[in-house]
Amino acid sequence: MRRRDFLMGSAAVGLAGCRRTPVPRSRSLVNITRAAAYSQDIYGAMRRVLAEHKLNVRGRRVVLKPNLVEFEPESAINTHPLLVHATLEAFRELGATVAIAEGPGHRRSTLDLADAAGYFRTIPGFEDIFTDLNLDEVSRVRLPRPVSRLSSLYLPHTVLGSDLLVSMPKMKTHHWAGATLSMKNLFGIVPGGVYGWPKNVLHWAGIHQSIADLHSLFPNHFAIVDGIVGMDGNGPIQGRPKPAGVVVSGRDPVAVDATCCRIMQIEPARIEYLTLAGGLEGIADKNIQQIGEKPDSVATRFELIMELRELRREKA
Amino acid sequence: MEIDNGALENIGAAQNADGGWPYRKGGSWTEPTVYALLAHQAGRTAAPRSAAALAWLSAVQRPDGGWTPRGSVEQSTWVTALVALLPPDTIGAGKHARAVAWLLRQSGMESSPIFRLSAFLREGKALDGPELSGWPWYPGTAAWVTPTCLGILALKKCYWRRPSTELRERIDQAQTFLLSRRCADGGWNHGSARSLGYNSDSYPETTGQALLALAGTDAGRLEASFRQGQRFLREQRSSGGAAWLRLGLLAHQQLPAAAPLFTMPCRNVPDTALTYLAAAAEQGYNVFLQ
Repeated sequence: MRRRDFLMGSAAVGLAGCRRTPVPRSRSLVNITRAAAYSQDIYGAMRRVLAEHKLNVRGRRVVLKPNLVEFEPESAINTHPLLVHATLEAFRELGATVAIAEGPGHRRSTLDLADAAGYFRTIPGFEDIFTDLNLDEVSRVRLPRPVSRLSSLYLPHTVLGSDLLVSMPKMKTHHWAGATLSMKNLFGIVPGGVYGWPKNVLHWAGIHQSIADLHSLFPNHFAIVDGIVGMDGNGPIQGRPKPAGVVVSGRDPVAVDATCCRIMQIEPARIEYLTLAGGLEGIADKNIQQIGEKPDSVATRFELIMELRELRREKA
Repeated sequence: MEIDNGALENIGAAQNADGGWPYRKGGSWTEPTVYALLAHQAGRTAAPRSAAALAWLSAVQRPDGGWTPRGSVEQSTWVTALVALLPPDTIGAGKHARAVAWLLRQSGMESSPIFRLSAFLREGKALDGPELSGWPWYPGTAAWVTPTCLGILALKKCYWRRPSTELRERIDQAQTFLLSRRCADGGWNHGSARSLGYNSDSYPETTGQALLALAGTDAGRLEASFRQGQRFLREQRSSGGAAWLRLGLLAHQQLPAAAPLFTMPCRNVPDTALTYLAAAAEQGYNVFLQ
């Protein structure tokens, strides 16, 4: 490794990772909040969610990273803009400086996509606080202990320079990964301007392994999963809208994603990236402290394509 | 469509002090810099501070002859095809020739003999051979539609200047690759027409790019693609997509006389430049094909 890479990697870890000190395992707090629809009620709900997690973000730079995929405002492909706006407002009320950033994996015209998905009309001043992560300034970051074939990745400064990255995926099935939740959503921080559309280096390095490697760079990103209306079937693009009526959140992305799987009636231990990143201990029920609703009380069957049927959780 | 000469002023105003162009704001990148230069070429006018622009571009050529997307990225990538679209005398014949040589050395990993053999042993089925050879976005990965289209356009220009069997064969292979990646609806997406037994939908911009790169192909093979391109053009979801569609349909004389004008805003330098390039092509000067 050259000195420049090391310095870049160190700087990146310093910027993004002052919150990355490993801690002895304690039960991870995951909140499940019921939300029946994308309505004004979400604003109060997100204020309560952040209060329950006791996030100290006063004076900090918070980056909300939704999942923007396609130009279909009526579908359940993209994270709903109302949830993103409610989260933005809630973080602002806690004293944070909030930005929104995303780097779609297939479509290049990110702002047009955000416009079509309703972000411009829902979030005042959206264009002023939004960064296209595909085209952001980048630095090379060395992966600490890669499980994929990657040794380093170029990553955008907006993310590396944030104090708190908030992954805001849609709760969806995924025809390759099984489920796409807060950890898989980090594919969107890998810059298309460097790696292309799709970000095929991640596929060649192993999808599950790449998800685990990205998680290792941002293990304590905050996760807020939009499961109010998710997607099942042939997700993440061609599936059907699937109302689940929940927002799932927490500081431990592995625990949040495992909880989402349980809600979707998918067995989290069969999602390879979850076990790579958290091990069976990290996704075990006993190690997750649920607040709000219990997973079983909101569980709803997300249909799986034939190739993924072995992921089905036998009992909720 | 009328040429909006204000577009060149807008592009000029976005130029960075180092001579290159950003996508919107911030540091200079190869892609917007090339599109800015191509737009000025189409306008038959010198780019502002063109010497500085070309100096910036020269500085980000890699020792292997390829171009990096941005100075801080130490890897030659797909943007090399974009630079090779520029006339050789703008960046220097030697630099241009090395860019083309780099391009000719690249192909999607899925068509490499080692990968094909390992896939055959693993899955028991033969994958695409070298007769379907496109370009990847990033070395060591699979071939996709956009970099393959740009590679074809760059090599075609080289072929017209100096025909060779090597160039002709590679263009043919890449065009065959493109046709193999066409979606069931007739258009193209990023390059995955079918996944796990499901048909994928096409996109406007990649459909336009593919039609442009397939200029000269038998129109009878592209009827469904023309219809899909014309359908996309009516929907108007992005200015970049509309520009590529106009360029692509125009290359086959399939742009409807009553094609709708652009209604979407140009949100970055490449979209502004592409919109200008599409208008120039309608006026008879297509920098991609001439």
